[in-house]
Amino acid sequence: MKKLVIIPAYNESECIEQTIKDIREHAQGFDYLIVNDCSTDQTREICEKNGFNLVNLPINLGIGGAVQTGYRYAWENGYDVAVQIDGDGQHDASFLQEMSEAMIRESADMLIGSRFIEKEGFQSSFLRRVGITYFTALIKLLTGTTITDPTSGLRMINRSVIKIFAKDYPKDYPEPESVVAVLRNKKQVKEIPVIMRERQGGSSSIGSIRSVYYMVKVTLAILVESLRRYK
Amino acid sequence: MSLRLQAILLILLICILIGLITQVKRKKLDLKYTLSWFALIIALIILTCFPKLLIIIADFLGITTPINMIFFCGFCFSLVIIYTLTAAISKMADNIRSLTQKIALLEKGEKDHE
Repeated sequence: MKKLVIIPAYNESECIEQTIKDIREHAQGFDYLIVNDCSTDQTREICEKNGFNLVNLPINLGIGGAVQTGYRYAWENGYDVAVQIDGDGQHDASFLQEMSEAMIRESADMLIGSRFIEKEGFQSSFLRRVGITYFTALIKLLTGTTITDPTSGLRMINRSVIKIFAKDYPKDYPEPESVVAVLRNKKQVKEIPVIMRERQGGSSSIGSIRSVYYMVKVTLAILVESLRRYK
Repeated sequence: MSLRLQAILLILLICILIGLITQVKRKKLDLKYTLSWFALIIALIILTCFPKLLIIIADFLGITTPINMIFFCGFCFSLVIIYTLTAAISKMADNIRSLTQKIALLEKGEKDHE
């Protein structure tokens, strides 16, 4: 089974080496691909110096476009499983093996690593947790499925979902919206508990003023998504 | 509508029309996206030339001052133009994203081949 780790990287020069080291040590059997989203720092140079498997976007596409590049790569290169890991060290590569086993065991099409099942590790700030609870409720209302951590970036998908994402993936703040899209395609989404760390470098893509935009945009996106018809 | 206003509007509209045609001729504007502009200008010219028509429509819609009718029409057409622009931008953004990804992946394939 071919498994790919996708690492979207925008100005992650501080952490990228550690992230790759982590994957090589703790996630054997996984290939990886760094998608450099036109970083303005030394990310590209560091990756090239180390000979990392790297794709360089000529234009900054934002997180959605960067991750989708990885899914297109996974689709074109015949990967059976793809998982997204953030380049900032929040995600622990040692969960990947467990996730791919759980995915087969639970026959899930998408497996989300959730911070909120066993409530261990870094739990995000209070306000963010409020936002996440709200999205959980909204998704439950619209799809009938409970997703405890819809904003988790640590998500593993199989080839049928890779196909969906390679064709169509949200542009910004893609996580909650794409979970709904997968659910609407009648795919199985499961969660397992994981522990996340606080980011180890770089800065979040969601600042304080943007969080209002985030809530509105993602809410609308989820509503529109649940209006779409799928075969 | 006074004759003077009619004349001023007409001259203005014809100038804009000529300007538009020149720009399309010079290929500065794409004909596809200027169709709604032409529709707007021509509709306004017709309404300016035949104020009676204007009064009839205004009456029908319950607008008391016919000149407001011109503004109203202009506004509606502007909305249509803005909408077509928004739609065009959305499509372009999608295309650019897809192309960017394609180029990046092709470039990678080339590099790996070396």
